[in-house]
Amino acid sequence: MISNTVKFLLNDKILEINNPDPNQTILNYIRTELKKTGTKEGCAEGGCGACTVVIGELASGQIKYSAINSCISFVPFLNGKQLLIVEDLVSKNGNLHPVQDAMVKFHGSQCGFCTPGFVMSLFSMFKNNKSYNSELIKDSISGNLCRCTGYRPIIDAAKSLNKINKNDEFSKSKNKIVKLLKRINSKKIYIKNEDKTFFSPKTIKDLKNIIKKNSNFNFLSGGTDLSLKVTKERKEISSIINLKEIKELDFIKINKNYIEVGAATSLTKFENQIKKYYQDFYAVLKRYGSVQIRNVGTIGGNIATASPIGDTLPILLSLNAEILIESPNKRKVLPINNFFIGYRKTKLKKNEFIRSIKIPLFKKNIFKAFKISKRFDDDISSICGSFNFEIKNSKINQAYIAFGGMSAVPKRAKACEAILRNKPLTINTFVKAKDYLEKDLNPIGDMRASKEYRLEVAKNLLIKCFLEMNTKKLTRVI
Amino acid sequence: MSKENYIEEIRPHDSAYKHVSGYAEYTDDIQEPKGTLYGAIGLSKKAHAIIKKIDLTEVKKSKGVISIVTYNDIPGRNDVGPVFKGDPIFTKNKVEFYGQPLFAVAATSTELARKAVLKAKILYRDLKPIITIKEALNKKNFLFKPKKIKKGNPSKKIKTSKNSLKGNFTTGSQEHFYLEGQAAFVIPKEDDNLLVYTSTQHPSETQQLIAKMLNQKSNSVNVVVRRIGGGFGGKETNFMTACICALLAKKIGKPVKLRLDRDDDIILTGKRHEFFSEYEVGFNNDGVIQGLKLNLSSNCGMSPDLSAAINERALLHLDNAYYISDIEATNYLCKTNICTSTAFRGFGGNQGMMVIENIIDNISRYLKKDPLEIRKKNFYQNSKKNITHYGMSIQDNVINEIFRKLEKKSNYKKRYLKIKKFNEKNKFKKKGIAITPVKFGISFTTVHLNQAGALVHIYTDGSVYLNHGGIEMGQGTHTKIAQLVANSFGLPYNLVHISSTNTSKVPNTSASAASSTTDLNGAAALNAVSKIKLNLENFIKKKYKIHNHEAVYKDQYIVFGKQNFEFKKIIHEAYLNRVSLSSSGFYSTPKINFDKKKFKGRPFLYFCYGAAVSEVTIDTLTGENVLERVDILHDAGKPINPALELGQIEGGFVQGQGWLTIEELNWKPNGQITTFSPSTYKIPAVSDIPKKFNVEIFKDGLNKEKVVNKAKTTGEPPLMLAMSVFYAIKDAVASVGNYKISPTINAPATPERILMSINKIKNQLENKNGR
Repeated sequence: MISNTVKFLLNDKILEINNPDPNQTILNYIRTELKKTGTKEGCAEGGCGACTVVIGELASGQIKYSAINSCISFVPFLNGKQLLIVEDLVSKNGNLHPVQDAMVKFHGSQCGFCTPGFVMSLFSMFKNNKSYNSELIKDSISGNLCRCTGYRPIIDAAKSLNKINKNDEFSKSKNKIVKLLKRINSKKIYIKNEDKTFFSPKTIKDLKNIIKKNSNFNFLSGGTDLSLKVTKERKEISSIINLKEIKELDFIKINKNYIEVGAATSLTKFENQIKKYYQDFYAVLKRYGSVQIRNVGTIGGNIATASPIGDTLPILLSLNAEILIESPNKRKVLPINNFFIGYRKTKLKKNEFIRSIKIPLFKKNIFKAFKISKRFDDDISSICGSFNFEIKNSKINQAYIAFGGMSAVPKRAKACEAILRNKPLTINTFVKAKDYLEKDLNPIGDMRASKEYRLEVAKNLLIKCFLEMNTKKLTRVI
Repeated sequence: MSKENYIEEIRPHDSAYKHVSGYAEYTDDIQEPKGTLYGAIGLSKKAHAIIKKIDLTEVKKSKGVISIVTYNDIPGRNDVGPVFKGDPIFTKNKVEFYGQPLFAVAATSTELARKAVLKAKILYRDLKPIITIKEALNKKNFLFKPKKIKKGNPSKKIKTSKNSLKGNFTTGSQEHFYLEGQAAFVIPKEDDNLLVYTSTQHPSETQQLIAKMLNQKSNSVNVVVRRIGGGFGGKETNFMTACICALLAKKIGKPVKLRLDRDDDIILTGKRHEFFSEYEVGFNNDGVIQGLKLNLSSNCGMSPDLSAAINERALLHLDNAYYISDIEATNYLCKTNICTSTAFRGFGGNQGMMVIENIIDNISRYLKKDPLEIRKKNFYQNSKKNITHYGMSIQDNVINEIFRKLEKKSNYKKRYLKIKKFNEKNKFKKKGIAITPVKFGISFTTVHLNQAGALVHIYTDGSVYLNHGGIEMGQGTHTKIAQLVANSFGLPYNLVHISSTNTSKVPNTSASAASSTTDLNGAAALNAVSKIKLNLENFIKKKYKIHNHEAVYKDQYIVFGKQNFEFKKIIHEAYLNRVSLSSSGFYSTPKINFDKKKFKGRPFLYFCYGAAVSEVTIDTLTGENVLERVDILHDAGKPINPALELGQIEGGFVQGQGWLTIEELNWKPNGQITTFSPSTYKIPAVSDIPKKFNVEIFKDGLNKEKVVNKAKTTGEPPLMLAMSVFYAIKDAVASVGNYKISPTINAPATPERILMSINKIKNQLENKNGR
């Protein structure tokens, strides 16, 4: 069954939109059509969090809540889901939700414009966790900017939730919502609005059929990058194929030798798995973007976009990941090291999509990754460096080193790798090797960092690797 | 007000419930009547050029477009410059910055309007742009004649001093990044009247500029502001949005909404002034400054805007908390081809203070002494060394006391030694600590702006309605003024209602700026209250034959000795007896006078004081850093609402921290700004704030001047507490050279600047060792 209707819950009411404009953002829909103005536009690029709303979805019989940026998600995203906006948190008799109440009590709002976004981020944290430590609180609101308070009162408000009864109005209405969500359980959709189309297949088989019949489409796999075409460049995306509703693309498989991640797996889901194997990968992912971004952004999307500032790319390069690519009638495997060919250009052909990414588990290797940016939270890397060393008998047997954020393409540092190979694990080895990075890298200078800084830090990261391997202690201040 | 009657009452912001539930209404949230159109502005893509041709054919044809306006549609003044001309609404033939408005459209939706403006075809003839201070200095491209101020004979003093130093220093620009961008909504009414909703700190100026633009009288324009989503000075001028919106609405005769998106907002509206200073200082072996000579240059952008006043405040704060007997400063206001620089929390004061703090820090490093000691040695004293370089005698100095208390409370001395030990042991991680003072002058330095009005009504049911000229931008001025009025009437807070700021209720207001909104408007409100009280008391005394008793307003009663009158009842009785229950109020700040030409007088009613200790750790291989701990002691006088003041102190500190550490604006040599969205311009996020953040309001604080509640404002001053972060970073960098080499580092101290500063020291060490 194909539907042309986006069906979703606005809190506890079923809403249906026939053939919506597939380029309309959820924020725009909320403000101009629902006429609810609590959700604000601060930047229209997912960088400030003022537009944060919470999405409820069924996950093994429970409702899983995710904060997202409504300014960079399009209306069809809502299909089959529950949308919660800040006004919905106030109970029918006007009582504030505990999260809202805490924000009032701890003076968490001043001008108030960012406040609804903070409330929604904290609400999703409140619902998804049992207790809230500093790390969780900071992560939960790292994608929300406040220019007035300096955040301290908001953190205190969040901490106070530890003492609050978790049984809120939403727990009480849970069964009803679960039933409703099951009732609207999403079908595959095909929207046609004027000259714009939007496909959202549910299976790979469907996907292949759509690919066969269409050309000139854009894949949407989270859309934290693609949507900016509409919200920033003011262009239209005439044909979209959404990959995020395909369950076969949303999985994590782990065996002895590798982790395989479905291309449409969200970064939030992935980070929790990778943590056990590559702690630094996890640490970089935490700073990859805000929770709102990581909740919708996918690993496949990050790879296919091939942005030089995509933080997973240098890491996957140094881990020698493999990309499983499919088209309607073919399957192939490409090492990621052969995948990127230019600025935002990959070897993916028009009718091909990424099915999954296989990340080898180098259990004996030493893996290190560093993200350097002006700001800790939600910033774009000036340099993202990833290092994978195989050490045998105090000798470097193999070294896989890659950098992102430096130039048009994320890149391996092959000259440096070569000079390190078969050398003893000493400071001299690394001091000598770091100069070879000048051969490997030709960084750009821009508003984030100068050419000189980028190159120097890249070299210093190599030294940091040695120091950390030598002392078995981290050298980082953040 | 009797001495015991200070309020000091913690209560939430008056809109807190609405903020957290999404019901607080901002300009763009106002539901539009049917037929409302939506605007967008067409911007220049060159920084400096002659416009040869504007072709709007494709714009007109674009879907949804109803109307276009250009400079041809402006019947009156085509300028939004608040003091001096220079800010054309639409430029006619010359473009002076990248992003300058050229035309605007109204369309059936915001999206369509924004798409349409991109279709303009503009033919330019390029002119060479001037972007940086250095370029402007070389070409002598100034907005005004350089200004020189002088006290004593610094040249001679420097010559005779035991020690002297020369150097230069830069503090960077900063984008306001209020979360609510510029927005306006204009509804045409009968008789050519316009009802204007706009996100501004200055409704009266908006009213006047729209009237002048349309060749109408001010009485035909009514500006209403309920609240704004942050201002920080960025909405003190910047009247472009409201004027263009009004022009569109007037031309079409329909309501028009115009909201800048974030990119346009950053591209076209003003920012903080970058300042560049060159100094020569003479000092004795104790580090006491004996003579100081300065060149102080600022990047004012393409127009005067408020630059004269901002540079003046910089000159007035070159002393910060230090007595400088002999000083000479020459001030250059550089005209460049970037958007105009404008008001931003601190208003030049902070830039001036950074200049002297940098000098003090360098003196300490030269003398190999703890900067804390040098700071203390130079502080203003109470009976001597208390005359500023502009001749004002400081009567309320508490900096010595605050410093002493904070030094102890923060355990500074012990930590200072501990940090030195840490740095001896650690090669790659280094720590630094710094304590810095704040002394900030309160009042508009343009004397006539120090006035305010209010309007208070009491209705027959005893409820109070209050209007004043101040804008609620998050600082809580409505809450605090309602607290003052409720307290003065002896009423519970919820009986006082403050509504939108409205030019038809209170006329000729000053901007909500210079930290003085509550001081001025609160006093005006209390003036209105006292007039109503006088009416009431005269009525009661006459009717109930009361003599020899003062009225006391308490717990909803008016008490004369043993006689009590329930407020609600007596109000109704007064009404029946035809007593006026409404009054306007007015306030003008006493005592102040300032001769701008001679640079002499008393520009400030009082000073705010504070101090902060910051401790940082830096990574010497990457320049990354973390703010480990901050201790603050800040003077808020007798705060009306300590919770709101605490919010201002903490928030101001973090905003200042952003200015001095991570916020960095960047322009290409051709004048195109490259940092215009949150992906390229970074304000502090939650992980940037101090790991330990101990903030305390100075308990012995008391405003010596007659200011409402004996409070001291906390608007701007706390921003400058963040200077301590910068100097803590500098201290950590200094440790790389074992404190023997004074680091050179400009603000903002980004990771890159930190690393480069470290490298410079390393190179100097190598050169020395090499020899």
